[in-house]
Amino acid sequence: MNYAIFLGCKIPAMVPAYEDSTRAVLGKLKVGLQDLPFTCCGYPTRSLDLDASVVAAAHNLALAKQAGLAILTPCKCCFGQLRHAQRFLEEYPELAERVSAFLQHEGLPFPNGVKVDHLLTVLSKEVGLENIRSHVTAPRTGLKVAAHYGCHALRPSAVTGFDNPMAPTIFEDLVAVTGATPVIWPRRIDCCGEPVSASNPDLSERIARGKITSALESGSELLVTACPYCHMRFEELAKDMGLPLMLYPQLLGQALGIPDKALGL
Amino acid sequence: MEDTVFNGGFFTTALWIALGVCCLGLLWRLVSWLIIKIGPDAKEVSFLQRLGAAIIGGIKAIFSKRLPGIIGGFVLDSLLQRRLFKVSKKRWLGHMLLFYGCLVLIVMHALHVLLADKLFSDYQATLNPFLLLRNVFGVATLVGVVLMTSGRKKDWGKVRPARLPIDALFGILVVVIVVTGFLLEAQKMSSPKAFNRMAEEYGIDEDEIKGLRWVWKLDYGVAFPDLKGEPDPDLLEEGRGYNEDYCVGCHSKPQHAFVSYPVAKAAGLIATSTDAANVDKGLLYIHIFACFFAIALLPFTRVFHVVADPISLVVRGAASSAPLSKAGRVNRRALAMDACIRCGLCDFDCSVGPIAKWMNNQELLPSRKVQATRLVASRSEIKAGQAERLAVGAHLCTDCGRCTDRCPVGLDLADLWDAGRGDLSSKGFPAPAVWVKEEPAIAWAEALGAELGRVPPAGPLTADRNQFSACVQCQTCTNVCPVVANSGEDRVDLAPQQVMNLLRLGMNDLALGSKMVWDCATCYQCQENCPEGIRVTDIMLELRGAAWRQLGPVRDRRRSI
Repeated sequence: MNYAIFLGCKIPAMVPAYEDSTRAVLGKLKVGLQDLPFTCCGYPTRSLDLDASVVAAAHNLALAKQAGLAILTPCKCCFGQLRHAQRFLEEYPELAERVSAFLQHEGLPFPNGVKVDHLLTVLSKEVGLENIRSHVTAPRTGLKVAAHYGCHALRPSAVTGFDNPMAPTIFEDLVAVTGATPVIWPRRIDCCGEPVSASNPDLSERIARGKITSALESGSELLVTACPYCHMRFEELAKDMGLPLMLYPQLLGQALGIPDKALGL
Repeated sequence: MEDTVFNGGFFTTALWIALGVCCLGLLWRLVSWLIIKIGPDAKEVSFLQRLGAAIIGGIKAIFSKRLPGIIGGFVLDSLLQRRLFKVSKKRWLGHMLLFYGCLVLIVMHALHVLLADKLFSDYQATLNPFLLLRNVFGVATLVGVVLMTSGRKKDWGKVRPARLPIDALFGILVVVIVVTGFLLEAQKMSSPKAFNRMAEEYGIDEDEIKGLRWVWKLDYGVAFPDLKGEPDPDLLEEGRGYNEDYCVGCHSKPQHAFVSYPVAKAAGLIATSTDAANVDKGLLYIHIFACFFAIALLPFTRVFHVVADPISLVVRGAASSAPLSKAGRVNRRALAMDACIRCGLCDFDCSVGPIAKWMNNQELLPSRKVQATRLVASRSEIKAGQAERLAVGAHLCTDCGRCTDRCPVGLDLADLWDAGRGDLSSKGFPAPAVWVKEEPAIAWAEALGAELGRVPPAGPLTADRNQFSACVQCQTCTNVCPVVANSGEDRVDLAPQQVMNLLRLGMNDLALGSKMVWDCATCYQCQENCPEGIRVTDIMLELRGAAWRQLGPVRDRRRSI
């Protein structure tokens, strides 16, 4: 198993522990990672210029295609954007033509057929739950964990194909593998509020607060995320509200017996 | 011999003027580090606070435990250009050749009275190894300039870092100084006039000079027009003896000046006419005045980075151990204006690089944004069109921090972009998500209608009437919307199903300026849950793009009235 790891912009800059823990866990599970000169996935640009956001994604997809690798990204927004770009390139032939010309000028191939997966999918489908379970040496038995799905991987399911959009199980299954007990909480598939944190901070905080309250009321002892944006949204607030927060590979890493330091804890 | 030109008051006066301009310029730049205000928080600190922060910061850096680390970083990043080496071996080589070539020429040649004469007891410019080395470093400097300036198009493509005319001027001056230096040396080598002057100085008599002239014609390349054919062997032998007595103590064979000598040979034919026309004097004037000009210009071009960058690197070292105070941060931003040389290393792997190329908007690139940040901060009123382009750069930046990691002179660019966005906002150019909400949707629609008449569809999804014809106004999208559910006191202006209904009715103009469009959290609940398969969120995003394109110019025109 070999992937081009797509970290995006936010992980190295704002949530470096996510990179550390992802590399540590995947290293332990024998998933090979390669670094390519990736740039912005285009997600932040989509609000202003759809074409530019598709080009940004296509540029990255083309780099992976050139290297003959599938993309693994720990960021749900990057994942969603890369998948959206693939769809737009299919849907709008005229745009695809212009993008193709642009990429050709950069010496890159047209990026059709590049496989894009989120970290959770690779762990669950490619590495396999049983395989992970066999590596668990320090199960987190008894810990009640609320898994936060993150919108841009889950929806629109027609584009992302991540899991059942109404009743997903992938994240809870991965929590259960660590020996912890997944909590089924009412707002588990709802928005974290991060996308409007800059333009409407009050609204953003109300959405996030509602989610954390829902997790707490369901008896959760830990909230886990698998996206840097969601994580950033919850970081301060969860601490204030008394709910411990972790990135999923940190939880898994502990169960695999990886030292905290290597997980950025 | 160069020394003699300073005997006249003219050159000395010119040198003092150049030095005076240089010193005043330096002072002006240093003071500007405490005056330039970038970022909204810059207004909160006084000049004295900034002066205090600079002095205390300097003292702290010197006495901190991290001093060895700071010095180590300075050696690696500044003297050895570690970061440049990682990105481009060619540019690294060019920078090393140019910097060290110039440095050696300044120490050994320009300032030889002050430095070289004292460092080396036997220093003579016409004696090896100095004769050879001056040519070596002259060539190194020229090669450095070529390596640094060539291939910009190949390395960067059509979106390149900024280059100001004054930067090119300094490069041209360096080339002029080195080339006239070579020509001057060549002219002197082949010049009978220079030979005669030296002979006179050493009191060589009529008999001695005959043989000596032949030796200097054959071995040293002096172009005596009257010496033709082969010399008398005895006369030549005699001349060699005098040469040993008088000349070799100060003159190595000129062939070691591997650039100037071939030039001298080539120019030999015209040496007498150049002597007559005083070409040597002309070259000397150009050579020295170009130097003076360069000295005077130093604080006003990017060459000033030789002063600003070491300071910037020390500041980075200090800031990495203890966060800077507010005044310290503001100073650091002002320093960045001089420390940035627009080398463009930050542009190489800028996260939005492909987008900048696609949009053909260079203002997205960090090397351009540094100066833009200053412009925005310094102008009380920004021209609307220009500000819009700068705003695109500011608002499309993803804050990935790579430019800060990459910057070879240690600028905190992430902080600078943040400050720049703050300045843009306070001058009326916040992110679109903020300015669209300044007016109600109906006001935007009226302004837009007045200008355009009928508003075109926002994009392919909006243009496709089949998208909405199936909408039965069931309100599922609104019911699952977290923005509607959490909007609190200030309520959404239009619910998602109302936005869809406006589009169904062809009232795009009203949908564009809706707050709902810009408060959308893009969670895709509406789209996932729509029983008719309408791509509600995708449409919201399409509307945003159209609002930015169509309402932006309307806003600019209204502002400028």
